[in-house]
Parts: sequence; structure tokens; C-alpha cells
Amino acid sequence: MTLTSNRPARAAAPLLALAAVMAATGGCRGSRSEDPPVHLQQNMDFQERGDAQEYNGFFADGRVMRKPPQGTVAVGFLKDDDHLYRGRNLDGTLADALPPSMKLDEKLLNRGEARYNIYCAPCHGDTGHGDGPVTRRGGGFSVQPANLHMARLLPESLGYYFHVATNGKGKMRGYKAQIPVEDRWAIAAWVRTLQVSHTAKASDIPAGNAPSPSAAAPTDTKKGAAQ
Amino acid sequence: MPAIFPRWTNNVPIVIGLLAPLVGAGLIFAVWYWFSPYYTDVGYRPEQPVPYSHKLHAGEMGIDCRYCHNTVEKAAHAAIPPTGTCMNCHELVKADSPRLALVRESHAADMPVPWVRVHQLPDYAFFNHSPHLAAGVGCVSCHGRVDQMAVVEMKQPLSMGWCLDCHRDPKPNLRPLDQVTNMNWDPAETPYDPDRDANRKRKVNPPTHCSGCHR
Repeated sequence: MTLTSNRPARAAAPLLALAAVMAATGGCRGSRSEDPPVHLQQNMDFQERGDAQEYNGFFADGRVMRKPPQGTVAVGFLKDDDHLYRGRNLDGTLADALPPSMKLDEKLLNRGEARYNIYCAPCHGDTGHGDGPVTRRGGGFSVQPANLHMARLLPESLGYYFHVATNGKGKMRGYKAQIPVEDRWAIAAWVRTLQVSHTAKASDIPAGNAPSPSAAAPTDTKKGAAQ
Repeated sequence: MPAIFPRWTNNVPIVIGLLAPLVGAGLIFAVWYWFSPYYTDVGYRPEQPVPYSHKLHAGEMGIDCRYCHNTVEKAAHAAIPPTGTCMNCHELVKADSPRLALVRESHAADMPVPWVRVHQLPDYAFFNHSPHLAAGVGCVSCHGRVDQMAVVEMKQPLSMGWCLDCHRDPKPNLRPLDQVTNMNWDPAETPYDPDRDANRKRKVNPPTHCSGCHR
């Protein structure tokens, strides 16, 4: 009955309604709000389980991620390799080589460069002169970040840079919580690369171009010089 | 005997016939518009306990995202940094600023700063950051230009339909693997074809089946 007689009106009605509502709410999507999103249909959005970094009222401090009890070591986390984890030889002196489990190659140096640029360059600068963007812009350090090319640092062992990256030095805090151990060694290797490249001469570049550990440093000279 | 229904009731079916589609369309539109995460979630910018500015730290000073969110390449969860990460610099910089009082208290008490979470997926969706970074999806694709935000806000709905848009056709959102955290990388400036990138070990093949995300 009405279904056939009102066909034109029926067709226009949704369009009219749409136009009216759109006019009334135009620009509402994406408008800024400090109130948490309202989800009418919660389903199982929030489940009773502990996700990373969430709050949990079960524990007095509210942390769902628990610290290991004092004096305990998780299985596989003993870190008994002094060279790898502490950068030291068996006699306690700082080691001047990568741990035996790591190999000095192009991959390691690329990794070291990338990690250095993330974690070290903000203060020490891309080239290691202690003039990173944070040092220049960051509102003034009360102690200047070290220039990695200064005379005192050049004779230091590779393990020294690993040790400082791990435990910090002076006002610099250690990065062992922030950077995995292999990456800290890669960074130490990259710091050495920056230092070598800084004083390198054209005659230092070997005649052959075979990629070997000894060739890796001069290859990166170009990068260091360009920066 | 008078008629049970007055004469005007003859028009009721016509009026209903006219109004019903209107109301129906209105309802459909209302749900489609106001119940959508594009409306409910996008633009959420809670006030944080510490007025930390990504615009200053990531934008002006150019600190890499991973300096603080250092687990993002390896873990499902992109960690909110512990207060110790703040103190790497703020022991030396603006060490007396009242705006950082809460950070110093947190550090001294070994208790986290009560940051307010901005991007929250439902617990039944198992999102993992690391494969997305390994595939070369930039931070900016989902989080927007965080380096220009003084206050972080949600830029994308993070809804299932929105996820699937990319999972079905990931190419437009892929970039060179070393440009993932670069907020300024512009595909219009440097055309990029992931299929011809020698640094990629395998083809990006995101799951579109249910258990890809709902496990």
C-alpha cells in the first residue's frame, strides 16, 4: 500500500536524514578530548590478566611486573661471562677485544653505528665530539658530555668503552638497563671506529678491498669524515 | 454505532511509511558515526602527570624513539621508559625544575610515574610491535607525527577495520628498514618499492585470518 505510493519520498528520506545529522555533527570526528574513550560495547576489552606495565592492585606497590627477589638469579641469566658482561679479563683488567662470542665484521659495525646514533649521539654527537643536539639544545648540562677524541680517551681499551656504556662514568648514568649487552659491545667498536677514522690518513686504507676485520675501520672512514 | 478509530488514523500507515526509513537511516548513521573508533578514540589526549613534550625531545632535539621506547624492536610492548631513562639527562639538565618534581620523586622512591595510557588495544587483540618494525612499518603510520605533539594524542582509530586495511595492502605503509623511526621520511620524496629492497630478507605477508591477532 504505502510502500508503492510513497516511493519517491522513501528514497529521499534517508538522504535528508543523513544530510541533517551530518550538518549537526560536522567535524566531530577526531575532535580532541581529555576524557577516556567511551566504549559502549565493552565485550572483553579489559581482561583480568597482567599485561606489561599495567597496574595491578594485588601487590602493595601496584606493579604487575615484579622484580626478582633479592639475591636470586633467573635461570639462564647468571651472566658469569666476565668478558661479555663486565668487559674484564680473568685477571680483572679491562679487556681490549670483543668477547670471543662476537665477531668484528661489517654487520657489527653497522649495528654499532645505528645503536650509537640512538643512545649516544644525542649527547656525544654523531662524530663523538661531545656536541650532540641534546648537548646543544637541552637546556644546558651542568657537566659537558665527553669528547670521545680527547687525548686521555684514545689509549683506553675497548672494554673501557663497554664498561662506561654499561656502568656510566662520573655524571653519565649506565646504560645496561637500556641497551642489550651485545649492542653495548657493538657501540664500543663503533666508538673505536670513530676515533680511528678521526686520525686516519689515506695511506691507512689497505690496497685490497676484501672485507676483513682490519679493513672494516678504514672503510668507515668515509662515513666518519663526511659527518 | 460510532467508528472505533477516528478518520485521521487512516493516515497512520502513510506517516509510518514515511518516518520509518528516516528513523532507520538515522539510527544506522548514528551508530556508524558515533560508535566508531574514529569518533570515540581519535583525538584522545589525556593530561599527563608530567608535562613531557615529545615535540621538544623527539622533534626539536631529534632523540630517536628507541632511546626511550627501547623494547619496541624486540618485544610486543613498546615500553614506557623507566624513570631512570629520564634521569640520564635530567640529573644534569633542569635538575631543579618544578615541572620535573614528580620525576625526581619517582626516581628517589623507586616507583613509576603514573603516566596515562593513550593507545590501548582491547585485551583480546594481541598486537606485537616487533614484527611491524621488522616489516618496515613506520611509527608515524599508527601514531602520527608524535614529534610535533606537545601532548600525545591518538591519531588513528586502531580499530579492526583500520588494521585490516593495511594487512590486506601493506605496501603503501612500508618504508626502508632503517627509516622506521624517522618521522620525516616522506614516500612522496623518495619513492620506495619494498619488493626491490635488497635489505629485506622476505616478503611482507601480514595475516588476515582471525587468529593472526585473536589468539
